[in-house]
Amino acid sequence: MKEDSIIKRIYKSPYLHFVVFGLVMSLLPALTSGGILKTSWLGIIGGTIIYTIAALGLNLLLGYSGLISLGTAGFMGLGAYISAYATGNLGLPWEIGILAAVVIPVILGILIGLASLRMEGLYLGIVTLCVSEVLRKTFDELEPITGGFSGKSAEYPTLLGMFKLNQSTTFILLCVILVLVMILTYHLANGQMGRALNAMRGSHVAAQAMGVSLLKYRLIAFALATGYASLAGALYAHFIKFVYPSTWNLPLSLVILSIIVIGGLRSIYGTFIGAVIVYALPDLVLKRIPVIGDINGLSYVFSGILIILVVLFYPGGCVTVFYDLKRLLKKLTKRQVKDHV
Amino acid sequence: MSDKIMPAELRAEEVLRIENLSMHFGGLKAVDQLSFSINEHEIFGLIGPNGAGKTTVFNCITQFYKPSDGSVLFRTKQGPVENLVDQKVHNIIRKGLVRTFQNVELVSELSLIDNVLVGAHIDFKSGGFSQALRLPKARREEKAMREKAERVLDFMGIADLKDALAGGQPYGVRKKVEMARTLMCEPKLIILDEPAAGLNDVETQQLAETIREVREKYNCSILLVEHDMRLVMDICDRVCAISFGKFLACDVPSAIQKNALVQEAYLGEKED
Repeated sequence: MKEDSIIKRIYKSPYLHFVVFGLVMSLLPALTSGGILKTSWLGIIGGTIIYTIAALGLNLLLGYSGLISLGTAGFMGLGAYISAYATGNLGLPWEIGILAAVVIPVILGILIGLASLRMEGLYLGIVTLCVSEVLRKTFDELEPITGGFSGKSAEYPTLLGMFKLNQSTTFILLCVILVLVMILTYHLANGQMGRALNAMRGSHVAAQAMGVSLLKYRLIAFALATGYASLAGALYAHFIKFVYPSTWNLPLSLVILSIIVIGGLRSIYGTFIGAVIVYALPDLVLKRIPVIGDINGLSYVFSGILIILVVLFYPGGCVTVFYDLKRLLKKLTKRQVKDHV
Repeated sequence: MSDKIMPAELRAEEVLRIENLSMHFGGLKAVDQLSFSINEHEIFGLIGPNGAGKTTVFNCITQFYKPSDGSVLFRTKQGPVENLVDQKVHNIIRKGLVRTFQNVELVSELSLIDNVLVGAHIDFKSGGFSQALRLPKARREEKAMREKAERVLDFMGIADLKDALAGGQPYGVRKKVEMARTLMCEPKLIILDEPAAGLNDVETQQLAETIREVREKYNCSILLVEHDMRLVMDICDRVCAISFGKFLACDVPSAIQKNALVQEAYLGEKED
């Protein structure tokens, strides 16, 4: 392994994979404007990216630390409204709006982390769900800031106060942010912190014996999850350009949860695959099918069935399908070599 | 609790002394006024019939339980003697005291080397920010720790398995990984909770050898709870026997074997 040449090492580098992945994604606007794909693809894949970011945060929380949250939607909404309000009503630059939209929910997330020290499993799920519902109700009622039931509009971002983006360039911005978030997640998950979170999930006592402070790392896990979720929400506000209070409900939290279960716990690409399957596939494929496509809430049925299938047959998530295929391919090529000899 | 305790004093050769340690669960006295001390560079055995309170003693020393009474004096890695009762459970390892568990506690989904690296958690100096961006300092640190973990795995004889997942390994290997994990922090005292449980005869012999090697290489003391008397009598310099949380005897293994109180605790009273 140590004798790997530089080229091979670069080829194997996870950073290169992430960047190539981002570059491929950002080709999409060219494809839609070239008429190869429908313009609606841009919105759907953009939404997928936003869901991926929120789900990566939940993956750090549930996948690595083993703590559950059903409050993702509430924090996404909070991020969306804060960013929309800061840029729209207060006239602050987009970058400041995003920063505020991440920092404020993170503080709230840390408070929930404090509560998590006393609760586990279902009870933690219930508490986070309550927080989320309280937030959603607040979005309904706090009309001067949120616009109440009629919702709130936001603009495409203006970078550094100079570059005004349109839908295509905002999409590319989403791709850039996704790649950055993936790299950040990769670092966190594979370093000291990721191991501490893993140890905490594996065994509380062993983690403590090894010097991991449960309080500190639970707070970190919750802060990260809410930070990712609110970033996703803020990006949503500036990409979809409109924020309705009814968007941030329990089904959304469950969609994010099903993304990581279907895609694969503790897998970065798995999270993206999950988002494609759960979010993009129903819109791009299922709704085109005659008769079945007209059923209301079809995507929920689809992801519900998928969860059952994945949990039964692929407990590691859909991402393990690729590993299995790779192994199968290796086996086949090996057999061929043997036959030749 | 701390105001009751006198200034910490240990004799020069001692590394750990527990004094009048008591642990009550409601009316049950799991540990009752227990005292013993462990010397530097010593392999010390704690034995007793089932339910004697051995694991409770361990948990009191490592602060998973806060003792109802008594003190746990420890000569820390940094030098000064401290009463561990005042410390938080996750700070014990920083003092140079580390333990294994009766039911091996590893993260099944992590590779062996990552499991061992969990043991180096406290040794990482770079902050969260530099880790998140993987700045050169954090990168160097991670690399150095990884090399250290490889050396430890090599010492335990399982270096070739380093990238395998812990969950898929046989029990013997998992025990070795847990031992390797304790060695990452360069401890002064290692506490082993039934290290031979579930091992066959050959593995137990290897274990005895490993424990001795660990003591020589890492220059530390070892405290172990064990039911395998052959192992205890073979490797321990001194043995402390307890029964129902009470002190019975503390002596060299051969004397413990002849001790009437210990025989009675294990075998019952002689019928007249």
